[in-house]
Amino acid sequence: MQAERVGALFWLAAGLISIYGSTRLGLGVLREPGSGFLSFLAGCFISLVAIIIFLQTFFREQEAQSKLKALWAEVNWRRPATVSLLTLGFILVLERLGFILAGFFLLLTLFKWMEKFSWKKALIIPAITLGFAYLLFNVFLKATLPKGFFGF
Amino acid sequence: MDFFANLIAGFNVALQPINLMFCFLGVFVGTLIGVLPGIGPVGTMAILLPVTYGIPPTSAIIMLAGIYYGAQYGGSTTSILVNIPGEAASVVTTLDGYQMALKGRAGPALGIAAFASFIAGTIAVIGLQLLAPPLVSVALRFGPPEYFSLMILGFVILTYLAQKSMAKALMMAGVGIIMGTVGLDTMTGMPRFTFSIPELLDGVGLAPLAMGLFGISEILLNVEKKIKQELITTKVMGLFPTLEDWRKSIGAILRGTGLGFFLGILPGGGAVLSSFVSYAVEKRVSKNPEKFGKGAIEGVAAPEAANNSAAQGAFIPLLTLGIPANVVMAILLGALMIHNITPGPMLVKEHPQLFWGVISSMYMGNVMLLILNLPLIGLWVQLLRVPYNILFPMILFICVIGAYVINNSTIDVSIMLLFGVVGYLMRKFEYEPAPLVLAYVLAPLLENALRQSLILSGGGFGIFMVRPISAGCLLVAAALLFSSLLPMIRKRREKIVAEAEEDE
Repeated sequence: MQAERVGALFWLAAGLISIYGSTRLGLGVLREPGSGFLSFLAGCFISLVAIIIFLQTFFREQEAQSKLKALWAEVNWRRPATVSLLTLGFILVLERLGFILAGFFLLLTLFKWMEKFSWKKALIIPAITLGFAYLLFNVFLKATLPKGFFGF
Repeated sequence: MDFFANLIAGFNVALQPINLMFCFLGVFVGTLIGVLPGIGPVGTMAILLPVTYGIPPTSAIIMLAGIYYGAQYGGSTTSILVNIPGEAASVVTTLDGYQMALKGRAGPALGIAAFASFIAGTIAVIGLQLLAPPLVSVALRFGPPEYFSLMILGFVILTYLAQKSMAKALMMAGVGIIMGTVGLDTMTGMPRFTFSIPELLDGVGLAPLAMGLFGISEILLNVEKKIKQELITTKVMGLFPTLEDWRKSIGAILRGTGLGFFLGILPGGGAVLSSFVSYAVEKRVSKNPEKFGKGAIEGVAAPEAANNSAAQGAFIPLLTLGIPANVVMAILLGALMIHNITPGPMLVKEHPQLFWGVISSMYMGNVMLLILNLPLIGLWVQLLRVPYNILFPMILFICVIGAYVINNSTIDVSIMLLFGVVGYLMRKFEYEPAPLVLAYVLAPLLENALRQSLILSGGGFGIFMVRPISAGCLLVAAALLFSSLLPMIRKRREKIVAEAEEDE
């Protein structure tokens, strides 16, 4: 399927959901607009533009339009997907394991497993990064970092 | 007389040790992130936004402003030495800067970039100081209908100048408005689009949103393929341009400064657009246009002057009207609001120390940047030798922890990751994130202005057309929208975008 068409359909759905949500919030009257008034207008606008973009795809030259597959044709999509999933995993364990352990595992996985660094580098660079982050956030910015059930 | 009195008052604030320290910190961090590919001023300022809670507002804004214009300086270093623009605004500098470096003239290229930035930055600050007060007096006559129409005009100009599709940019502005309405309705107290998540009652945070759309999505895009770092191996020598270099560059610097300043004031104009336009202008006015792209020093001087001048010009709409011209200014708006300071025409009266202090600090910042970028060039070159596969996990980790410490909540980190993935997909499908973030920041102001206008008029949209300033703004917006539909203008706009993409 054409990438442009998929994008337009996605935003059309988003616009329609927004219209539905806004009507539930209450549109009010013009003399006194309600909570959903502006988001309703924005939802209508998004849907309208999405429909225009969708219809435009039928009138454009075929070769000018890229297929959905072509967007990831010459790149390794697994790498951004891996980074996103590892970050999601980090978020899930951050408060349980604490800043040091969770951060160390995230960085070690990225350096050793994904970037294939030697064990020496894969251990030293995360240690330096953690130390820098600790100094920046905890010492300089006085932020509270999660300690986890190990207490550090 | 007022000019000098304001200047002295401003310097009294800017020269205080704490403000000098934060100014230095800002321009240093700005240069650093300008040099490093993959993290820009938007992401950095978003990370540092929570820091501003604990420091005086003037110091905070001085630091954040320093990051912005400092990044414009730093971005040129990577463009010239590595052929990778550290900043979007430095893309054009790669064309002639890298060619100069290949010919053994990396020193003069870096030198002219720093001097052009300094000259442009300084002239633009004077322009800012001269233009801001008269604009403030005009802005004092603005009511809700004028603000509403001005914001609509801002959105239309922003999308008109968008690099990709105007329709997509307009749609992103719509999405940004919906994002901006998430949270408690300030008029009725009703929760909107919160999905029963208590953390969303205060709305989606600006920092996670901006860090996700600009920082994380950039990392995801960069890790797709290996970044080739073609670092010049010869020693960088002779940073001072020759008299011949100066003769060729001075006109380009002055033209770039003027163009950049006025494009910087326009919503969405900013540093990126001004660098492209100034390069195109120089190529057109040059007697030897064929030398452009092959190491012409004017091709470095003009865009570098333009992007710095635009960075300063962009402060005008924020400080005088309270309307940010680009995403960076939107973050500054957020920073001011954290301190319960509403930017706009009253800012100069209610907080003159902040207003003139921030402007005067830019003179100091420009001097600091010249010192940082010429004698310390070796340090930045060393930094460029660090491969991206070492840098990106570190940048990712700093972003994640930065998002967490805002509210000590993993919800903010999750929002950042979500918008990182959304931003990555948006870039793939050629949707620009800038209109979304700008609309998100302006949404509460837009909603208030719209509601107040309708209440004032008893429900009639005519109020927007009977007031001259408001009607003028809406007519210009309509004319721009209409002109973009005309085949001749549309083709010309598409041609300009295609040329810009070719240059990239």
